[in-house]
Amino acid sequence: MTGKGKTGPLLALLLTWAAGASGEDLRGKIELLARGGKGLAKGSDVRQAVVFFEPKEPRPTRAPEAPFTITTEDKEFLPRVLAIPRGAKVRFPNSDPILHNVFSVSGANSFDFGLYRKGPGQTRRFDAPGLVRVFCNVHHSMVAYIWVLGTPFSASPGADGTFALSGLPQGPGKLTVWHEQAEPWTIDLSIPIPGTIAARLEVTRPRIPPHVDKTGRSYFRNSREKYGG
Amino acid sequence: MTREGRAWVGTLLAVAFTALPLAAQADEGDKGAEGETADEVSSLRPKLEFGLEAKANFRQSDENQFPIKTFGPPFDPPMTRFLETVNSGSHFELSDLTLFADATWSEHLVAHAKIDFIDLYERNPTSTADKVDVDELWLRLGHDSQPAALPAGGGGYFKIGKFPKFERQNDRHLESYGLVSTAFNRIEDVGLELGLDLGRHVYLKGSLTQGNPVFLRDPNALAGDNGTPEFRKKDPNPELKNGIVIPYDAATQDIDADGNLQKGLGLGVRFASEDGANGVDVLVFGRRRTLADHVDFKGSFYGADLDLLDGPDGIPELPRKDVTFPLTSDRKQEVGGNVWIYFGGGSFFGQYVDQDLGGLGRIGYEGELAWRFDLPLGASFAGRQLFPSVQPVVRYSKLDPDFRPAPKSPSPSFAWQWEKLDFGVRLTVIAGLDVTAEYAKNDFVLLNGTKHDNNETLVTLRWRI
Repeated sequence: MTGKGKTGPLLALLLTWAAGASGEDLRGKIELLARGGKGLAKGSDVRQAVVFFEPKEPRPTRAPEAPFTITTEDKEFLPRVLAIPRGAKVRFPNSDPILHNVFSVSGANSFDFGLYRKGPGQTRRFDAPGLVRVFCNVHHSMVAYIWVLGTPFSASPGADGTFALSGLPQGPGKLTVWHEQAEPWTIDLSIPIPGTIAARLEVTRPRIPPHVDKTGRSYFRNSREKYGG
Repeated sequence: MTREGRAWVGTLLAVAFTALPLAAQADEGDKGAEGETADEVSSLRPKLEFGLEAKANFRQSDENQFPIKTFGPPFDPPMTRFLETVNSGSHFELSDLTLFADATWSEHLVAHAKIDFIDLYERNPTSTADKVDVDELWLRLGHDSQPAALPAGGGGYFKIGKFPKFERQNDRHLESYGLVSTAFNRIEDVGLELGLDLGRHVYLKGSLTQGNPVFLRDPNALAGDNGTPEFRKKDPNPELKNGIVIPYDAATQDIDADGNLQKGLGLGVRFASEDGANGVDVLVFGRRRTLADHVDFKGSFYGADLDLLDGPDGIPELPRKDVTFPLTSDRKQEVGGNVWIYFGGGSFFGQYVDQDLGGLGRIGYEGELAWRFDLPLGASFAGRQLFPSVQPVVRYSKLDPDFRPAPKSPSPSFAWQWEKLDFGVRLTVIAGLDVTAEYAKNDFVLLNGTKHDNNETLVTLRWRI
């Protein structure tokens, strides 16, 4: 065996490692289209989209020690959409002078903080990958989404819909573009991808999704007829 | 009880016991879909809940008088009388103090009581009637869906006691009532009721009840004084005045078991979104009973039912034909249809009723449109938003009688064409406390063709806990 023969596999391994460390870039642009694909959708914020790439060979994620934050402010969740690595924590402070009851019934990520006043709020750790729908049991219009990701490759688009993922490993994987008002857009691809990916999503869902309160009852019915005619 | 009445009771009970296993299955289905919630109770000890409602009003009622024919004794010498606005002018009133109590064993076994300690606008219509009134007292076995709300599946319920008619609008957005609601289904009845859900979208209702006696009242807030002891005087001057009256289904009096029961049937179709935000419900219904010759009425010496429509008696100088309405039968029947539509914060309720009241025909229809707007967060109190929502409301209603009264009838307004336009706004001050400001425009056409109105402004502060 020659010296060249001995160093060849090692060199190849180092090159692969170097490529993985610096990784590949993936660029794209998201367009939100009106129902029926007739032009751009009005009133839908493309910045609320989440883009993530899941390599066929999963890569580990690392959750930061400090929690992310979703604040209740003026009867809204801020931010409305949050992507976090699996195992990360999210704190839900209340900056409103009124009571809120933040809850979710999304499977293993379910939680219910009960009514709480203005203050630092409570923290919840999210270990199950997937979408967590977050609501307030008092205010029907309050909606937030947490994407718990099992991949370290995610991004949020800019106001013009462009996004960039960097450090992607070469090879096959699945790219997902999610927006609260559209069906998720996915594509199987193999990195590297030259040029720009174009993702067109048709807005078919209302900004406030149909949902019931934490007990499974309608927000609307509770107030309609409790005391009768 | 008559043979027909016994047959109805038997049928209702048979269907009820057939429906209950279905209801139990639906109960299990609910738990499977949603999980049992912490506040659901399934033991023998019920969950008890109490509520309180109080209302304070400012009321300004136009002052109007409409002369009616004179007649002889006991009002001798002959005198001109009037249909007069009830308690006209500006008034502050504590109009309502009501206690609610619910005992819930499970979603499928519920008892409910509603007791009015003060209820100036809803109680029996004279100032001398009962002051404390058990408005509702019932026990329900099975699940009853609200209008335009989808049940989990097929099922049903059986209810016994004193309860609202199944076609009543239970989520009015003004304090006043439309003419149709007042005339036909504002007041609770006593008896049995059965509901059957044939799947999620089609349902049946059936009832066997005592039937509300036909009496008279003003359609505005206060019913008026009629047949109070004051009217036995030669020159009566009742505290509230008698009102510009229409016939209506009044509060049930003492429970009687003469077998003269009212049968009710309804068939409905509903569609709704799963979250309950949007929905439509269409119900067609009918009710029938035999009018009693006479029903004693608390707080009035006037008799209800046929006795009321027959006009005053005991006046030899007055031939019956001069005072009685042109009655041709003792049948009381209503056939009608309702529609409830919900669209997020908006709602529409419509009702049409065709009545045969002993041969006196009357058609009524009304529609109410309301929209609740959530207001941005501004001030707060005790962790609750101040002024969280505002709700404008408009309601139109009409009564169209197709009969004429006798020439000396004391209640010619029974036969007037009547339109009522109610509009207002409800402002929620804080959860449980709201203010409703509304205006009722009553327009009617007298038998001589002249048009008049009798309007009212009402501002209500309502507190509910």
